[in-house]
Amino acid sequence: MNKKLSAAAKREERWGWFMIAPTIIGLVVLNLWPFVQTLYSSFCEHLGFGHYKFIGLQNYKDMFGNTEFWKATWNTVYFCILTVPVGIALALLVALLLNAHVKFKGGFRTIFFLPLVCAPAAIAMVWRWIFNTEYGILNQILGGKIQWITDPKTAVLAVAIVSVWSSIGYDAVLLLAGLQNIPGTLYEASGLDGAGKVRQFFSITLPMVSPTLFSVLIMRLMASMKIYDLIYMMADETNPALTDMQSLMYLFYRSSFVAGDRGYGSAIVIWTVGLILLVTLVQFQGQKKWVTYDV
Amino acid sequence: MRKLSRMTAATIVLVLLLSLIGCSSSADKKTHLTFQIWDVYQRPGMQAMCDAYTAKHPDVVIDVQATSWSEYWTKLEASAESNTMPDIFWMHTNQLLYYADFGMLADVTDLYDDVDPNYYEEHFTEISRSNASGSDGRLYGVPKDKDNGLLVYNKEMFDAADVSYPTDDWTWEDLADASQKIHDKTGKYGFMAYNDDQLGYWCFAYQAGGHILTADRTKAGYTNPGTVKGMEFYVNMQKEDWCPGQTYFAETAPGTAFFSEEGAMYLEGNWNLPQLMENYPEMRGKWDLAKLPKCADPIEDDESLDQDGRATISNGLCYSTAAHGKKRDIALDVIKYFGTEEAQRIQGENGAAIPAYIGCEESWRAAFDPYDEKLNLDIIFEQFDYAVQAIYNSASPKWKSLVLDELTNVYAGKQDLMTGLENMERIVNTETAKKLADQ
Repeated sequence: MNKKLSAAAKREERWGWFMIAPTIIGLVVLNLWPFVQTLYSSFCEHLGFGHYKFIGLQNYKDMFGNTEFWKATWNTVYFCILTVPVGIALALLVALLLNAHVKFKGGFRTIFFLPLVCAPAAIAMVWRWIFNTEYGILNQILGGKIQWITDPKTAVLAVAIVSVWSSIGYDAVLLLAGLQNIPGTLYEASGLDGAGKVRQFFSITLPMVSPTLFSVLIMRLMASMKIYDLIYMMADETNPALTDMQSLMYLFYRSSFVAGDRGYGSAIVIWTVGLILLVTLVQFQGQKKWVTYDV
Repeated sequence: MRKLSRMTAATIVLVLLLSLIGCSSSADKKTHLTFQIWDVYQRPGMQAMCDAYTAKHPDVVIDVQATSWSEYWTKLEASAESNTMPDIFWMHTNQLLYYADFGMLADVTDLYDDVDPNYYEEHFTEISRSNASGSDGRLYGVPKDKDNGLLVYNKEMFDAADVSYPTDDWTWEDLADASQKIHDKTGKYGFMAYNDDQLGYWCFAYQAGGHILTADRTKAGYTNPGTVKGMEFYVNMQKEDWCPGQTYFAETAPGTAFFSEEGAMYLEGNWNLPQLMENYPEMRGKWDLAKLPKCADPIEDDESLDQDGRATISNGLCYSTAAHGKKRDIALDVIKYFGTEEAQRIQGENGAAIPAYIGCEESWRAAFDPYDEKLNLDIIFEQFDYAVQAIYNSASPKWKSLVLDELTNVYAGKQDLMTGLENMERIVNTETAKKLADQ
């Protein structure tokens, strides 16, 4: 195809390559190459200080035979079930409210966006105290002695609550942008035809905002599958519920950096990547059924 | 237009290149060394030592950098892989063998040969020297400090319950009795036994005549009768109404509970005492220190230390430098100075830690000079008489977290203690054998 390009166009092409080079190089050096290395090290035993010994599929055999690993996989899936639907529904609700004609709209938008500005470590620290069994404010209000973070039954739920709380703001802002792109004339026209608020929401708002909703869904699901920081900061190493709440990424951290078993850790990462890939593929297939790209 | 954009691009590239060069060159001709530590409270002491060194060597500048414990090891390992380790850094017994056996640390055995060939033997205890030695018996760090665990108790709660303060002859039974009385009279917790090794079950296992590792560090001793006795006593304390359960400790550290006056006693490391005095001004004078209680009837065997049921765990750090560091020779000269009486005394007087250098230990008392309320510091120095060296072998990084998981499962009621101990024994033996086979 180069034959048809004029000299000027060729020059332009060269400049094009030059301009995107920083991004491409960055992507290859920082994302693609480490991925290849991770894939390789998942077939190796880490001897220490970056020296590896090839051991074939042993890490995967160990991994699939380990109950802790399956527990972590389930914890991750369970965490997604808890956070994604609720989180996105709440974010949409907040976006709708912020899009309506309310007083102090700017103030509310700021408030909902605030969790995103806070350092995650600070958020986790404050929530740890809120959840504290003996002295926490939540149990004071509820009047019970629920061991939020240390009871295996509630530990994942506690982390999910914090996760939803801290992600609503971001998702709501994205959805708000989507909502504001819907032309007002659609609502006017449907109003003249006698459509009520509920009908307008399902027939106009939802289809029109569905592309944004789809992006938010994909991003939220990926973020939830990679949950690590909140668990790391909220659960102590001696927490008796740790194995009941640890996610795949937390298990990876413990294997790779606490126990120094980087080969095994890499195998966990590859498994997680596979899971995310699968879920994302399913979503892209599913989107044809509910995402509207043009009216 | 095109010319302009090309000029702009060229300018940007030039600026970027210049800024890169700017990073790597320093304005002066001095040698800049980095000194990495993990305890921000010891920074003033480390800085004072560096200042004393640079006063004698004006051509050297040392930058003391403090980070958190967990980040420290992630960073240090990554920097070791790329041979960009800090010029001087602290080494911990948990990790020393891993680094030393892999050839990452400079051998400092002959460092003082020009001064005195027996320098280490004369000025540092056997435990201190052992804590800085690799598997080959060579020294890979200059001993920095030594520590031990002690009993911290709340005097007001003892008074309120009309119980006399812990004495040197206190036994486990006295500990339990006092805890029960305090709980009955005040409603507060007694002794808070939490899931910890150095400041927890290790002490009790050795007091009972047991051992975690054999003396040659090749085999575990979790199922040794003495160890089992110690572990049973320690772990089962959480079943008493006067001791909180592990779910409580997972949210509220024993120190936090103690200084919020929720509990009367817990095990603390001497290295934390200065900051506890500083951080809890309203508690000063209300608490004091005692020796660890002893086991009245230890189960002795060949591996036992035969110390009349007494034991406390003593760990120690050392100063190391990379085996192939770019500024190795200067770094070695600095850590050589850190091992002198003068530098060790500066460390002590600044309240950083108890110096490893024999004869300088008591300089650490200066850390408590700012406070009118006095602690019974004597017991810390007396406890060194029956201190047990911190427990580790070259496979420690592998088995430590796995052993912790097993014990956590015991505390959570997911398995009984004996099953847990058998699992721990198996884990440590397997990992250790694997490591020994690799070497």
